[in-house]
Amino acid sequence: MQIKLRVFRFDPEKDQKPRFDTFFMDVDPNDRVLDLLEYVKADFDSSLALRRSCAHGICGSDAMRINGRNYLACKVLVKNLHSDQITVEPLLGLRVIKDLIVDMEPFFENYRSVLPYLINDEALPEDGKERLQTPEERDRFEDTTKCILCAACTTSCPSFWSDERYVGPAAIVNAHRFIFDSRDRAAERRLNILNQQIGVWRCRTAFNCTEACPREIHITTAIAEVKQAILSGKV
Amino acid sequence: MSVTAKEPEKIRIQKNFDQIAWMAMRYSGVLLIPLAFGHMILQDVVVGVHQITTDYAVERMATLGWKLYDIFLLAFAFGHGMNGVRQVFRDYIHNPRSFRIVSSILFVVWLVISVIGAITLLAINPAMGR
Repeated sequence: MQIKLRVFRFDPEKDQKPRFDTFFMDVDPNDRVLDLLEYVKADFDSSLALRRSCAHGICGSDAMRINGRNYLACKVLVKNLHSDQITVEPLLGLRVIKDLIVDMEPFFENYRSVLPYLINDEALPEDGKERLQTPEERDRFEDTTKCILCAACTTSCPSFWSDERYVGPAAIVNAHRFIFDSRDRAAERRLNILNQQIGVWRCRTAFNCTEACPREIHITTAIAEVKQAILSGKV
Repeated sequence: MSVTAKEPEKIRIQKNFDQIAWMAMRYSGVLLIPLAFGHMILQDVVVGVHQITTDYAVERMATLGWKLYDIFLLAFAFGHGMNGVRQVFRDYIHNPRSFRIVSSILFVVWLVISVIGAITLLAINPAMGR
């Protein structure tokens, strides 16, 4: 099929303002948007800058805005966009470094702020091996273990667009992953961090994050569970 | 090896204004469902808009219960709305001090309007209109 591909371009060293480059190309409906960008980079303009690594929806490098919605470019097929015009732009709410590459540091700063690692200073079990948990305890946070930190959720959130200090859905999801882990002992610290104006209370339940998540994590549910834990004082 | 589930952990969370404001939004929203729908069904369905006359209003306002109903409707609907406006301002005002000032102004506007509305409703004396 013939498509018209519009790609956001901006090189701060040369350009005064961003522009869109347009490419007409014959593609297979089963091509991924990442494939189209690779064609552009290989055959039309090698200066196109984008992040990608595994190209199979695992590393989370190639999140971008495609026809106005956040996707992983390696997971979305041309046929599933139901259009012969495809517009590719960088993620919203983060500074553009070049073309489709954004500065992810504010995103990772928010991520680090919720202590996204297991904290348990208690003595090891008697056998000195694993801290065990029941299958039910593991299920409690199963969904939020799937996050790949692609930032598709956080950069689709209107609250984050207005203020990048808002921790954002990805940070809350990763806090949830440890708050509800029976082996962890720092739920109180994380919940007090999230119980702020720039924490969970900035979430307006817009559901953009849930729609954008390429891992289909029930993000709004996870945020609601964190709010509930703050209000009830129980995890 | 058997594994037993850990007892639920009780944690201490410090109360703050945003938490209270979020709860107020939920509670006022839930209260608005019966208050606003009750008002709408009574005025638009049971009575009908063409039957709402001065006499009807005077008769209704003769009852303390209806006065209180309308005061609650005004206070919760207006409070819910002002809390929403506060959230919208939050998107544009990033300086904490400026935001506190704006929030305080919104609270005072809500309080003043609600008190004036309550005084007006309570002061209605049907005998004066006849």
